[in-house]
Amino acid sequence: MCASPILELKQVSKRFGGLQALEGVDFDLHEGETHALVGENGAGKSTLMRILAGIYADYDGEYLIDGEPVSLHSPSNALHRGIGMIHQELSVMPELSVAENVFLGRQPLTKAGTINWRMMNRVASEELEKLGFEIDVRQPLENYALGIQQIVEVIRVILSGARVIIMDEPTSALSPSEIDRLVDLINALRSSKRSIIYISHFLDEVMRVADRVTVLRDGRKVATLNAEETSAPHLISMILGREINATLPTASARRSANTLLSIKDLSADVFRDVSLDVGAGEIVGLYGPVGAGHFDVARAVFGMYRFDTGSVTVDSHPFPRNFSARYAIKRGVAYVTESRRTSLFLDVENYRNITLPHLSRIGGFAPSHSREVGVALPAMQTVNVQPCDPDSAVGTLSGGNQQKVAIARWITFPPKVFIVSEPTRGMDVGAKNEVLAILRNFRNEGFGVLVVSSEPETVLAVADRIIVMSRGKTVAEFENTAGLQKEALMGLI
Amino acid sequence: MKRFRTLAPVWTLLALMLFFSVASESFLRPINLNNILVQVSTLAILGTGMTFVLLTGQIDLSIATLVTLTGVISAQLFLNVKLAEPWPTIFAVGAATVLGIVSGFATTKFRIPAFMTTLAMSLIASGLATWISQGRTYFQISEVPLFLGSGRIGGPDGFRVLPIVAAICLLIGYLVLRYTRFGRYVYMTGANPSAARLAGINTNIIIGVSLAISGFCAGLAGLVNMGRLGSAQPQVIESYLIDTIGAVVLGGTSLNGGRGGMLQTVAGLLIYGTLRNGLDNIPQIDPFMKEFITGVVLLGALIINLLLGGRARRDKTP
Repeated sequence: MCASPILELKQVSKRFGGLQALEGVDFDLHEGETHALVGENGAGKSTLMRILAGIYADYDGEYLIDGEPVSLHSPSNALHRGIGMIHQELSVMPELSVAENVFLGRQPLTKAGTINWRMMNRVASEELEKLGFEIDVRQPLENYALGIQQIVEVIRVILSGARVIIMDEPTSALSPSEIDRLVDLINALRSSKRSIIYISHFLDEVMRVADRVTVLRDGRKVATLNAEETSAPHLISMILGREINATLPTASARRSANTLLSIKDLSADVFRDVSLDVGAGEIVGLYGPVGAGHFDVARAVFGMYRFDTGSVTVDSHPFPRNFSARYAIKRGVAYVTESRRTSLFLDVENYRNITLPHLSRIGGFAPSHSREVGVALPAMQTVNVQPCDPDSAVGTLSGGNQQKVAIARWITFPPKVFIVSEPTRGMDVGAKNEVLAILRNFRNEGFGVLVVSSEPETVLAVADRIIVMSRGKTVAEFENTAGLQKEALMGLI
Repeated sequence: MKRFRTLAPVWTLLALMLFFSVASESFLRPINLNNILVQVSTLAILGTGMTFVLLTGQIDLSIATLVTLTGVISAQLFLNVKLAEPWPTIFAVGAATVLGIVSGFATTKFRIPAFMTTLAMSLIASGLATWISQGRTYFQISEVPLFLGSGRIGGPDGFRVLPIVAAICLLIGYLVLRYTRFGRYVYMTGANPSAARLAGINTNIIIGVSLAISGFCAGLAGLVNMGRLGSAQPQVIESYLIDTIGAVVLGGTSLNGGRGGMLQTVAGLLIYGTLRNGLDNIPQIDPFMKEFITGVVLLGALIINLLLGGRARRDKTP
């Protein structure tokens, strides 16, 4: 293209403590272009995006808008310069009306200084109609589907004067028809000379909307290509940095004789018709990109997420429609969440965190310190918590060790089914391997283990069988055979 | 250093005692120290229940009116319905407990914040008290509350029963919180309700029972209060609510739940009682200034508590 770029990043680098998130990255954007940004988790996409959006002001390198260097201090600063961002978690106010959301923070005023509701409703309505949506803009936004909410946010950003719109994983929670509408929206934006930076895991989508694609790997830019010059498999090999392995997954035939966990046709708002089985002595990996709904399936099995239809059965005992975590624990389900803050009491001692679900079995009416430590200490040693001090608060441990404490909770009184979400999040390689070894031990002792993750490496490392979820539905189920690598999973979502 | 911080209320107490013993000659006399205990006894009984409720991360705004209602019910049953003891006592304290259970049920079953349910309950209780008593004061009360509130053990110069009742209450509360499974669940529910549920704790029951305990304590406090005054009247002593919350929080129990306990409440009660009593013992202070000074000192003590006791969390991982 001959026109000069409206936005440029030159040799941008950013470091977080010991981690080099970006190294010498160049990026440019032309007017009216849709430029996709792809790469694995941890490749640097989020960091790059945040620098563009003004969230990070501290980095090396140059940021030029219309050829002039800028330094953006904040997202609102960026918006003033015409750069708006739509986060994966939308920033909408669900209880306010559609029109109010469109004009969030910029309500049109009457001469008297009050809000001009009529103008607000009229303009909002018109903008939506231009994109083919006829909806009542006075209704609260939460009455409408996520796809509409997202479009409202895009309109809001555009009306704020954004020339550049950064979209972070815009489609992970959308239905196919909603995705079509988003694609139409992007085309409309393109013809009105607006530029889009599109970040996504879904490479087929990227091929559908992008003019150019930039691939990041380990904080560096691998290549920037025109969309015609590449394809999804080509992108995968650049993302991974090697020739892709042609091993295809084989449909799984092997089933454990003794099914410990059986989920049938489970449906809620974010997932539909999910069925899976976990047998004794096997590890099932439930993989999907963030937003696929798999984490909520795990919560539902533990009674912490309400589902509409379907059934959960543990060891041949069917669960009632509405059950509590307490019920699930009693029937032998253990669950470690992906967020340590939700499952641990950070200011409380390690031993108390570990013995909490089992106090009735440990000490009767009055738990005693020595008996509790007697239970907690061996558990902590088995998972190798460092430093192994039952009396210090969990919050003093590193993230990886906190996770081990959360797992240790279920060791002394073993459950039948062990569900763990993102077991190795935020851990160094050593701790990761330890936790994965613990999971394999659980399997060898006859538990049924369900590992839920958005990291392909995790499920490939431990699972016997892998189930892939995307956009709320299961899309594949296969054996985790030896030659299988990440690209097999990446190609399925 | 951590020790020093958690004992902050104790240092405050000692500082106050030091100050008053220097500023006033009558402060340190045994009879005066005994007075302090008597003066805070009713608050101590109320504070026991409130400690449980605050630890679960809730609040009970109905205690003051439950105190009144208990007195009215007991007097009404004794004087007009002519029931013999122990029935008036049992029904009266029982009624307060039942209302506490109702507050607990409404809070947990319908997910109404305890602030609202207990606020509504306080109106219900005071309305009931006015209706039962028809607005009149009962000038005669039965021997049980009289003994508890004004009685002495060991002759006319013996120990007052009231502080003993308060001490027993605090002790039982302490033992339950520190040594029982239920006590553990109370702390966990307040510290992190979602983690508590994930660990299988039925947080609804814990909150409900805590509010019931608070109701019971309010009932007991109502009895001894009636005994202390020698009469039962439908007027509510509003200060009981604020003074109780103030004393408990002053001692170091957090309003957010999960932190604190009975020892802290004892410290808070003593600080409160010392402050009030100490000011009374300094005749030079303008009596109209006392409330102002109490407020200022309380604010100072709270700030010191928070500064010394607060901990910023290190790990910011979600």
